[in-house]
Amino acid sequence: MIAVELRKLFRRPRTWATIAVLNALPVLVAVLLVLTDLAPRPGEGPPFLSAVLTNGALYPLAALAIVLPLFLPIAVAVVAGDSVAGEAQAGTLRYLLARPAGRTRLLVAKLVAVLAFVLVTVVVVAAVGYLVGTTLFDAQPVAGTSVSGTSLTPEELAVRTVLAIGYVAVSMLGVAAFALFFSTLTDSPLGATMGALVVLVTSSLLFTLDAASPIAPYLPTRYWLAFVDFFRDPVLWRDITRGIALQGVYVGVLLAAAWANFTTKDITS
Amino acid sequence: MATPGRAAAPRWAVVGVAVAALAALPALVGALPVGDCPVPAAELRAEVLASDGVTYSGYAESAGGLALPVTDQLDSVADLFSDRTEMRVWWRSPDDHRVDVLSAAGETGVHRDARGTWTWEYERAAATRAATTPLALPAPPDLLPATLGRRLLSEATDAELTRIGPRRIAGHDALGLRVTPEEPASAVQHVDVWVDPGSGLPLQVVVLGRTSEVPALDTRFLDLELAVPDASTTSFAPPPGARVGTADQAEIVLEAGRRLAPVPLPGTLAGLPRRTLDGAPPGIGLYGRGITLLAVAPVPRRLADELRRTLAQSPDAVTDEAGTRIAAGPVGLMLLDPPHAGPYVLTGTVTLDALVEAAAQLPALGGVR
Repeated sequence: MIAVELRKLFRRPRTWATIAVLNALPVLVAVLLVLTDLAPRPGEGPPFLSAVLTNGALYPLAALAIVLPLFLPIAVAVVAGDSVAGEAQAGTLRYLLARPAGRTRLLVAKLVAVLAFVLVTVVVVAAVGYLVGTTLFDAQPVAGTSVSGTSLTPEELAVRTVLAIGYVAVSMLGVAAFALFFSTLTDSPLGATMGALVVLVTSSLLFTLDAASPIAPYLPTRYWLAFVDFFRDPVLWRDITRGIALQGVYVGVLLAAAWANFTTKDITS
Repeated sequence: MATPGRAAAPRWAVVGVAVAALAALPALVGALPVGDCPVPAAELRAEVLASDGVTYSGYAESAGGLALPVTDQLDSVADLFSDRTEMRVWWRSPDDHRVDVLSAAGETGVHRDARGTWTWEYERAAATRAATTPLALPAPPDLLPATLGRRLLSEATDAELTRIGPRRIAGHDALGLRVTPEEPASAVQHVDVWVDPGSGLPLQVVVLGRTSEVPALDTRFLDLELAVPDASTTSFAPPPGARVGTADQAEIVLEAGRRLAPVPLPGTLAGLPRRTLDGAPPGIGLYGRGITLLAVAPVPRRLADELRRTLAQSPDAVTDEAGTRIAAGPVGLMLLDPPHAGPYVLTGTVTLDALVEAAAQLPALGGVR
């Protein structure tokens, strides 16, 4: 069932169209940077963007930072929100459930497909970012400078980049879990997607308010930018581990809720 | 056959119990009893003052509630006392440590060695060397709970000290100590310091002004490890391609030094005795003790004009024949601009009434008794 869901997802043109659109923004930003030679002022703009003019090898990280706040979670919410509600809207859900595999297995298969989409999307953004960065900017493949001003060997830079890509993928799991849960509540993929985006926007807004600081550690977007911490020296694991644990809690709770709802609801479409 | 509603109830109950358990977890951990110890306040203060050799590394957060009315030149100082500052620290000794101020997109690291400091700014790819000076503007390392706690307790008398309840901070049971200043001129209600009993290291410092129940400054460790950090972590060498420069002294200090014929300052202002400070230019007068301090300093004309404009935009500023003044929490500031002496600033942790009283005791600066 998992293989079927994966094939279905990655054979859809709209899946690749979503990924392509997601890559358009970092490419546009890179082109504008090259044409104008105007990087963001120090301390402003997405992480690593001010550094790419001197080292294009950092552009995968800048590209992830560009899409991370909005475009990437929107893409994940669209795909995850469509996973169950899309079948219901198309009238194919009851046929899927007619198979002896069971609802829990279908839910797991949908979840795995969404996770695969998240991973593929993040890797493609990073790969396109590397290609664009090393093509348009001066790259320093032999070594790099950490955020803390120490030198990193090429091996250290590569390992930390891979870890950062993995962390960004993990950060998207909470959005995926929200959208998947909402997808089991409604027959409207748009409604499920919007529900996840409302959570995302609310979390991002609350994070900026001092009055919300007591609940800030529990907001799903709180630790998204902690991938920068892989490039501090020594690596700052504090927010990274908290971010992974927080996403794990959201995924666990929301999947349990999705399971409780989906395995007991009346399927009429 | 069970109806969907009946089948759903136990499953939702499992989910509900799991969510309730997770939601209650922080409160349960916070409610765990904290160990206390009947150490006398004076003894605890002595342990704090002896802790500057304690080695540690950790993660600290400082939250300031002071909207200081300053000019563009002092923005970084104002940010320290009005914003949330996240810091990583590795402390091998007072002459060998590193403090990184973290931001979402980068960091600024201060590496201290025996001859001075290196400041690394990632976003500007700049490394700046500065010699150690006895008088310098406040910097992030000054806001570390350990550094600030030692400084604020350094001149406290036994009569000003009381014990308060313990707290668990960064996983350590910390003993509470309160300093309540004796001076009537003080704008500080009290300073609370929580101390690790084994090492004497201050783990949290809270400063409360007289006019608000919201802390003017709250700095605490969130993570702390009492071990010797590696020397390679605190040392620094500018990376290839970095812009390397040398820091100048603050203009306000230079200006005070240039005015070699300062106005005569009295031995006491607003009931606070004058004190000396190594390295302070003769143009600066420093008064008070402990957490009640008042400084009288000449400022450049351009800085005074900017400050006057900034104060004029603040609805809380008071202007009358005594001068222009404002209070930001427990910090008061007054601008004097007598015709023949050049502009002067009076500032410190004193009340506005104390500033007016001090200004009146400065006839050479236009004060009227």
